[in-house]
Amino acid sequence: MASRALAQCVRSLGRSSARLTQGRVVTRSFCAPLVSIQRPFSAISCNQRTKWTELIRISGSAGQPCRRYGDLPPLTLESIRDRVIYVLKLYDKINPEKLQKTSHFMKDLGLDSLDQVEIIMAMEDEFGFEIPDAEAEKLMTPEEIVQYIAEKKDVYD
Amino acid sequence: MSNKLLKMTISRLPPAALTLKQFLQRQKILSLYRNMLRAIRQVPDATDRKYLTDWAREEFKRNKDATNQDAIRMMITQANMHLEDLKRSLALAKS
Repeated sequence: MASRALAQCVRSLGRSSARLTQGRVVTRSFCAPLVSIQRPFSAISCNQRTKWTELIRISGSAGQPCRRYGDLPPLTLESIRDRVIYVLKLYDKINPEKLQKTSHFMKDLGLDSLDQVEIIMAMEDEFGFEIPDAEAEKLMTPEEIVQYIAEKKDVYD
Repeated sequence: MSNKLLKMTISRLPPAALTLKQFLQRQKILSLYRNMLRAIRQVPDATDRKYLTDWAREEFKRNKDATNQDAIRMMITQANMHLEDLKRSLALAKS
């Protein structure tokens, strides 16, 4: 039913535009308002067709790049580094002035293995994935954490 | 000959190195601490969570210089019991 109505609509449109081009005086731009007039007519005549046009309109608007569907902005090495340093500065036992990219948690910052466990847990919270025990033990400097996260999240630059 | 080789490998180790048993125990305690913190993270109330985190941290730090093997083993058992308790009450609170 809907397809027949559509076909009829297209045929009548073609005929009317043919008539217009016969006159030669009217330019093609005149055809555009004609189309827009034709559409509401057919929409009223058949209920199913309105649903169909609605569907087209929805799928058309979904193509616009304004929605990310819960995806975060892409990670870069810089942003990972900033977030790691930020989390470390918030940790109460680290002196923010002493903190360097390459400072060792135990040797330079005077933390113990329990603090290191807590730091790795804080990183898990921040980046939203779990770091297995065997890997977590080896991460001893901020730069190593950055490298590890970049590797896991497939960030290379 | 093999005895000499053994002596050489031992002397290469730093004097403060842990024995294998101590090393494994350390590993076990660290993973226990991690599991404890993971379980505590699921506690719904924020003040309770803070309290429990501080408690676990303090308890582990208080005994970090313990060297007596038996005492350490006992503490590990105790911590495991606490962890089980915590998990059980969390499961009850959820249901």
